[in-house]
Amino acid sequence: MSAISIRGVNKTYDGKVVALKDINLEVEEGEVFGLVGPDGAGKSTLFNILTTLLLPDAGDIRVFQMDVIRDYKAVRQIIGYLPGTFSLYPDLSVQENLDFFAVMYKSSIEENMNIIEPIWKQISPFKDRKAGKLSGGMKQKLALCCALIHRPRILFLDEPTTGVDPVSRKEFWDILKSIRQHDITVVVSTPYMDEATRCDRIALIQDGEIIGVNPPQTIIQNFKGHLYTFKSDDIFSLLQVMEQCPLRCNYYPYGEHCHVAFYEDMETAMPQFERFLEEHQQPHSEITAIQPSVEDCFIEIVKGKT
Amino acid sequence: MRTILILIKKEFLQVFRNPLLLSILVVAPMVEFMIFPFCADYEIKVLNIAFIDNDRSQISKDIIHSFNSSDIFVSKGLLTSKKEADEKMKHDKIDLLVEFPSHFEESLYKNEPTVIAVTANAINSVKAGIGTGYVQEIIGGYMQDFAAANTPSNMSAAIAQQASMQSNSASFSQGEDGERQSNSSAVMPAQTITPPMPIRINISNIYWYNEQMNYKNLIVPGILVILVTLIGCYVTALNLVREKEIGTIEQVNVTPIRRWQFLLGKMIPFWLLGMAEFGAGLIIMKFVFGISVQGSLPLLLGITAIYLLVMLGLGFFISSVSENQLQSMFIVLFLFIVFVLLSGVFTPTEGMPGWAHKINYLNPMSFYIEVIKKIILKGSEFESVMRETIVLSVMAVIINTGAVLSYREASK
Repeated sequence: MSAISIRGVNKTYDGKVVALKDINLEVEEGEVFGLVGPDGAGKSTLFNILTTLLLPDAGDIRVFQMDVIRDYKAVRQIIGYLPGTFSLYPDLSVQENLDFFAVMYKSSIEENMNIIEPIWKQISPFKDRKAGKLSGGMKQKLALCCALIHRPRILFLDEPTTGVDPVSRKEFWDILKSIRQHDITVVVSTPYMDEATRCDRIALIQDGEIIGVNPPQTIIQNFKGHLYTFKSDDIFSLLQVMEQCPLRCNYYPYGEHCHVAFYEDMETAMPQFERFLEEHQQPHSEITAIQPSVEDCFIEIVKGKT
Repeated sequence: MRTILILIKKEFLQVFRNPLLLSILVVAPMVEFMIFPFCADYEIKVLNIAFIDNDRSQISKDIIHSFNSSDIFVSKGLLTSKKEADEKMKHDKIDLLVEFPSHFEESLYKNEPTVIAVTANAINSVKAGIGTGYVQEIIGGYMQDFAAANTPSNMSAAIAQQASMQSNSASFSQGEDGERQSNSSAVMPAQTITPPMPIRINISNIYWYNEQMNYKNLIVPGILVILVTLIGCYVTALNLVREKEIGTIEQVNVTPIRRWQFLLGKMIPFWLLGMAEFGAGLIIMKFVFGISVQGSLPLLLGITAIYLLVMLGLGFFISSVSENQLQSMFIVLFLFIVFVLLSGVFTPTEGMPGWAHKINYLNPMSFYIEVIKKIILKGSEFESVMRETIVLSVMAVIINTGAVLSYREASK
């Protein structure tokens, strides 16, 4: 049974800004589904539509067979939503926030303690502290507790790890994995490509369009180019020089490194490339072949130079 | 029910943890009550007066002297020139100038018309009006005594009052000719030997419902109205829009609660706070200002409850159409000033033009201040405030329906 079914959804803001273009998507029950894309791709718009906060211009959206527009009341009972920005009451304590949302959902903390227990254990020492005074990671955990307090069938997380430190991010993903044990479908959006590999399936979204839905492994397998990495002292001048490169390739900075994906027979292309760099006086570290990440795949799909 | 209870609990927790809001709720009314009634006062207590005496006669001296016996006038002495007087008035040293023409006394005895010029600083038109009135009264009183003592000689005095704006160029004259006050004996022929006694009529006033003509009796109920309005409208308008700003409204909107539940959960706490403030206001009014409610207290509380509903609904309506606290604050401020100035809280509405009266049919505050004045000062029964009660009830229904409808759970 599919948890979410989206057919032909369009959304335009103020009649000008196109946020979503003909979105079609299926999310299976029980999976951790990732919506991956850069800022402004339309992730939050799609989330707001799915969580009944925003009306689409056109299209049919069903969450567990229920129409998010017509049956929005019923949909609200079975979804949990963690918005992109911290949206709990900063002047209420941790305990008071949790109590409040439990009653809002006509549920109680005791009833669903087994779901939130692993998270609650971490934040309960601070239960009398005001939510606004918690650290970023703790805020997210509290928000997650509040979103899970009514045992939703599906949990929406809008960029839950944006602005969270790497350790807390890892912790957070471990928590998400544990949530699935309770038959809760998880839909998560993130601009971090490295997190995408932790999802069962991901949808790549760019400029309001879905440009591919697959398990991360499949996406990586579908990578067509030959990916190489090397270091340069002057990435800026290197990127300028690369514009004149006669080989069919995508190049882009990747942290401190430069990634180049070639679409050539590497037997002949590699010596050609090394000669090209030498001619243009670009000193560089050793060029090594690597496995592509989801980010590399995303760039390949977006640039489309295959 | 449990849902609404926790919403109310949440609201109270937030109010009592918000130091700024608490101080608005507690300190603002105290300050308004403790300061405003003592300083907002139309009574003129001090008028600085100066004289130019071109006559230097006994009569002019007597008249100048008679000003000294008044509590209101503070004599700034005799000035020598008009120029000096202008300078003093420009620098606010004097409020009024009384100028006697040369041959003043002589003219009186010769029964020739003569003019005393009274110049007033009319920057504050109320003060100028009252000031010239007092001057006329004193001079008129003197002239009456003078006439009684010197009946055979015909005389008349006229006082011209002249009000000049303090600003250098713009000076306007208010009735250059003034009212000619001729003594009753002025028409008597000179040869009359036994004059009749001049007829003197004293008018004594009785002021109902406010016997001492105490301005506080008007101001204090007015502040009560402002208090209830502020709590009802201002605080609620800021409250809901704050939830929008910090995003909590989204988190609440994704829960299955109904919008009327949410709004009710917000209204009840602020309604209770408003009623508590009103009660505190009544207590201060009684024990600090000695004004007790003449009419029925339950009636007063009942109508206040309805008025609060109007203001709460208005506050929520404003906050659901505005994006942030700044916007809603400006809207409330605008409406508040219009409401106060048109309502007759501090100024009488009787002098307003017809169109202003029509606008006032939309002004809940004007109906409420009527009720407050009638019940607190006059002790009116329900029949005489029934119209206001009905209007306020209709307003409450309309504005709250609007608030519920305008509150959107999903945006477009």
